[in-house]
Amino acid sequence: MSSAYIVPFVEAVKDQTKRLRALSSGGKKVMGYFCTYTPIEIIHASGLLPVRVMGGIGEVKAAYSLTPDFICPYMRLSLERALKGEYDFLSGVVQGYTCDVACGLLNIWKGNFGEKVFHSIPLPYNDNTDSREFFRSAIMELVRKLEVLGGRFSEEALDRSLRLYEEIRGLIISFYEMRYNNRLPLSANELLYIVLSGFVTAPEEYLKMLKGLNKDLRDAKAQMSEDVPVLISGSLIEEPKIFDILEGSGLRVVADDLCTGLRHFHPLAGEGEDPIERLIDRYLHRFPCPARIRANDRASLIMELVRRSSARGVIFAFQKFCTPHLADHPIVSEGLKKEGIPNILIEMEETGVMEGQLRTRLGAFCEMLGE
Amino acid sequence: MEKSGKSKKRLRAAKALNRIVFEFYQECIQAREEGRPVGWMPPMNGAIEIFYAMGLQPVFPENWSPLCAAFGYTPGNFEVSEGMGYSRDLCGYLRNIVGYVYGLMEQGETPLRLPEPDMLISFGGGCIPAMKIFHVMERRFPQARVFSADLPQVPVEDIQEYHLKYAVSEMHRLIDFLTESTGQEMDYDRLKETVALSDQACALWDEIMTYRKYIPAPFSAAEIGIMFVMVTRQGTQAAVGFLTKVRDEVKERAEAGAGVIGEEKVRLFWDNIPLWYNMGLFNYFEKMGGVVVAETYSAAWSLRLNVDRPIEALALKSLMSYPLVSCVSIEKRKEMVLKACREYSIDGAILHRNKSCVPITLGQMDIKRALEEELDVPSVIIDADHMDDRNFSLAQFQTRVDAFMEMLHEKKGLRY
Repeated sequence: MSSAYIVPFVEAVKDQTKRLRALSSGGKKVMGYFCTYTPIEIIHASGLLPVRVMGGIGEVKAAYSLTPDFICPYMRLSLERALKGEYDFLSGVVQGYTCDVACGLLNIWKGNFGEKVFHSIPLPYNDNTDSREFFRSAIMELVRKLEVLGGRFSEEALDRSLRLYEEIRGLIISFYEMRYNNRLPLSANELLYIVLSGFVTAPEEYLKMLKGLNKDLRDAKAQMSEDVPVLISGSLIEEPKIFDILEGSGLRVVADDLCTGLRHFHPLAGEGEDPIERLIDRYLHRFPCPARIRANDRASLIMELVRRSSARGVIFAFQKFCTPHLADHPIVSEGLKKEGIPNILIEMEETGVMEGQLRTRLGAFCEMLGE
Repeated sequence: MEKSGKSKKRLRAAKALNRIVFEFYQECIQAREEGRPVGWMPPMNGAIEIFYAMGLQPVFPENWSPLCAAFGYTPGNFEVSEGMGYSRDLCGYLRNIVGYVYGLMEQGETPLRLPEPDMLISFGGGCIPAMKIFHVMERRFPQARVFSADLPQVPVEDIQEYHLKYAVSEMHRLIDFLTESTGQEMDYDRLKETVALSDQACALWDEIMTYRKYIPAPFSAAEIGIMFVMVTRQGTQAAVGFLTKVRDEVKERAEAGAGVIGEEKVRLFWDNIPLWYNMGLFNYFEKMGGVVVAETYSAAWSLRLNVDRPIEALALKSLMSYPLVSCVSIEKRKEMVLKACREYSIDGAILHRNKSCVPITLGQMDIKRALEEELDVPSVIIDADHMDDRNFSLAQFQTRVDAFMEMLHEKKGLRY
């Protein structure tokens, strides 16, 4: 399949600042968030546009004076971009609580970017009647914060937002299903662009783009790949080059456990009597980030994905210094090895990956899996 | 000066403290031997008072780490956990305790040691390493009954009724779990007494800290080990008894004008956790006339408890303790540091950029800026690690501190 189909998605990523700035100048309030645990449906239902703050690849200069160098590149680079004025169109940042660094950085943004809305949403770890009631109050608190910016929330609007995001998730998950069955005529790099563009595009527009793509994908003839199938696990991957190197080493990504991947989309929706309950239900049943769950539980979930996709190995690709992933890694890695699934760990720095070294390691890994 | 070293202490209470530490860990082992249920838990929350009120034995793996550093067990513990695949980029408390439970503890030959847990108060809340420590413990001690706690992180200034209500429901859920696991019922009169003792300890702690405002200060950060009782003995007469003695001694010294060194020229503030393997660093400033008279950590223990509403008081304590000293509430922390610097007549601040503690380190640069802009208090960054001496360079520390102290002397018009 020609990569022409993904051109609009690549452009959406590349033009994001210009486009979002224009939207914001036109009166649309744009609200940033870091982690996919942020209930973006509430932001959307309140009439604001939720946009995921991205870091990209680069060098940290200005952010160096505000953060230590032992936190993840994503958070440092996001701050760097913000300090350069690249996020001047945001009306603030709201953040579903995940890790220490995201929490700290939200507060550092708050201390450095003046009178905007910066709010951390406390999320319960358990699922029971009390925790759901707590979650509901936390959501209503978020609604009130957004009202300060002119947000107008209603359960009807939330119902519409939930349906919209569900449809988007449904399409993306269907691409994942195609990939599990070796029927997706897209490289991992291309799929990444599709996902990344969704973070920075209005969902109504994004849905249209996905529907167009869906038709193209169904019409295209997939070539069955003979490369060695692998699953990739980590948090954010923003550099498509990693996938190019990986897929140029005789490996083929067939599944992922990434928050720039499956974790953002699974499950499609939650159950409940009213829209807020359905939202709560989904966020409590997320395909989990290691900041929210035990390593043991993640090991079995990743193993399920391995079986489903017939991956023969797992590549852990972590943001350097990412405590939740690093702390889980020994247990998850051991769990996979016990099931006969070899795995390796690569770490991503601010300036990306060491290309030569990565090619050598992935080449050796591919050879080992092929034996 | 050595890379690892003990501090020189001046308080008589320091000797009593050694005994208190020894007795606490003896008591933990004894509890196990006598069949008194032992529960491991994270520090700085209201579970400790609930345990003491129910006659159960709390154990704090996080508190064990500084002891490992003092006893020299840490390098061996790190070797074990790093051998298991735990990255050197992870918090030293995590690597130390994981290494300990899979290494030294299995060998069981150290004079002081931790007893195996009957229960784990496993955590959803606090910092990520604290949470992950307990997840590893669940695997290491599969026979232990697990309580999955839930304590969402909320900035102190934003705490509302609904946060408190949830924390209260978690306290009740914990009590039910403990009753079910041990057969012990909660005696609410005893809980009130326990909370009253805890509150007394906080009041004494505040009073002790107040005497450090005296010039010269009656004791320095070298003695901060006294907070051991705040971590492990809150809610007991032992803590109140010890802190009363410390208070009396400190009061006497303060009123008599007895300082730490001959002439106290420069008063310093320390931000972040001390280097547990080298508490002697606090004495390093002394030869240059410097005394560390206040720390960020010390404010974490001055939360007062409403004795008439014990469960609510413990819920609030649980909600507030971690945010107060971490990046959950940078604004509040900044306020606290500025307040301390004003009240303790601070000339300069030492900011420990701590590789083992991201939550306390984040926000330090904002605090540094506020100190300079609002109070004209200069500060110096020390790159180190509260557990791992491989991330600490003594030479770099000395170079930075020497230059900083010289600058502070000049600023005050003093001879260096």
